[in-house]
Amino acid sequence: MKKTGFLYDDRYQEHLTGNYHPEVPDRLPAVYKGIQEAGLLEHLTLIKAVPADIKWVETVHDPQYIKRFAKACNSGNPIFDSPDNQMCTATYQVALLAVGGVLEATRLVMEGELDNAFCAVRPPGHHAEVSQAMGFCYFNNVAIAARYIQQQWDIQRVGIVDFDVHHGNGTQHIFERDPTVFYYSIHQHPTFAYPGTGREFETGKDAGHGYTKNSPMLPGHGDKEYQQILQRDLVPAFAEFKPQVILVSSGFDAHIEDNMSDIKLTTEGFTWIIKLIVELAAEHAQGRLISVLEGGYSIRRLPELARNHIKILMDA
Amino acid sequence: MFISNSMTRKVITVKPDDSIFKAQELMAENKIRHLPVIESGNRLVGVVTDRDIRSALPYNFFKTAPSEEEKKNYSELKIKDIMTKDPITISPAYTIQDALLLIQDARVGALPVLNEDGTLTGIISVRDLLRAFINVLGIGQPGTLLCILVEEKVGQLKKIVDAITEENISFGSVLVARYWEKDKRAVFPYLLTLNVAHIKEKLTRMGFTLLNPMEWYLDQLPKNE
Repeated sequence: MKKTGFLYDDRYQEHLTGNYHPEVPDRLPAVYKGIQEAGLLEHLTLIKAVPADIKWVETVHDPQYIKRFAKACNSGNPIFDSPDNQMCTATYQVALLAVGGVLEATRLVMEGELDNAFCAVRPPGHHAEVSQAMGFCYFNNVAIAARYIQQQWDIQRVGIVDFDVHHGNGTQHIFERDPTVFYYSIHQHPTFAYPGTGREFETGKDAGHGYTKNSPMLPGHGDKEYQQILQRDLVPAFAEFKPQVILVSSGFDAHIEDNMSDIKLTTEGFTWIIKLIVELAAEHAQGRLISVLEGGYSIRRLPELARNHIKILMDA
Repeated sequence: MFISNSMTRKVITVKPDDSIFKAQELMAENKIRHLPVIESGNRLVGVVTDRDIRSALPYNFFKTAPSEEEKKNYSELKIKDIMTKDPITISPAYTIQDALLLIQDARVGALPVLNEDGTLTGIISVRDLLRAFINVLGIGQPGTLLCILVEEKVGQLKKIVDAITEENISFGSVLVARYWEKDKRAVFPYLLTLNVAHIKEKLTRMGFTLLNPMEWYLDQLPKNE
């Protein structure tokens, strides 16, 4: 069995999103419940959140944006940048805890104390742009972790896999000119789903050309199509790029019972996907993998999805 | 949605007595394919396209770079010899819809835009229309496409728009299309939000059928044969 870290902190539930919002605090207890009831907790290394040092947040986000977010939050603004981003006065601090928790998990993996980790954080991050909150996201947790790795350790190539059903526009834009970070995303086709980016012809810019890859999936597609496309697109891309560490934007909203999309992955489909990513990490990155929660809104299915996910990481 | 808002105002032009090589260079430099030909006083006398130039020169001019001597043989060729005289034009007060229909009908790639006094004020190309169409669809902004099946009777669209507006969700666009079943229509609102779960539930509760947009598309296929 591998040494797997599990980042979980009650304070992540203090970010409140108001009525009729799918990104609710209850998502995290649902994740916890699945892992606890399967008796996995005692085999995991529990990681607690620590607030991120702003200097790491600034490796991705504009300092003016960070200040603007802090100010909007502290003055009690219920939304930030878009009606999608509903928040409360705790949101800024919780967002810093999300980044800090992911960086702590990353540190433990990079220093060899853990083989890999799953970070059950809120708010999510992959839609957050350098200077704009979008799609329930404020700070781009995974992007900041990638920069942290590159600045703290001697790492030339970071691979990011994003299987949230929505394209991670923020992560793509942050690294689209950077040949040292490969961003791969599989998601519902942007003609039908938020945020309208992540088309096949978006392949990176300038020096980063060829280091972004998108696999848009049509509504109605599920396990079979995902398996075919991941084999066709992700496997050869990483065989060539050879990431030295893999960060995963793990969204569970492509599940057939999640009403945020029209993609029809089953619970087993998700298990297959994370298995493949773990194999890629073993092959190229000495197993180093940090998985970070993005979307996934089916409170009924999250327990089993999180349980299976972490079981694959543990090799249990 | 007027031509004046969507046209290119900084028009690159040539004179009737310019050589065709000048036109060729201007097109290559600016990555364009249409040049209005003007006389003194900004009066339009014609349009020259990359196709006109290709037809006027031998094939090997485009295969390999021609020598200066080869070029010399064609240096007498002027724009006025190869341009389209009296081209179809449009007024800046016309609409984008006019331009779409006119360009399709005339089978051209661009229309010079003329003021009432006949002077050139801009050019509108297929590329400008594409930009305008992207704008109309709202797809330059993040959003989600829904597909709602409605009965073809008065007031259905209002119900949908009201229900969505009540949730404080902005529209990128709304398209209405035919459905294979008689007396039904498919409505495609493009909503500028990621938060669609609640509005989907609400529309379903109101009695509307939500389709996966691909189901609508696949149903259309046999009808399009």
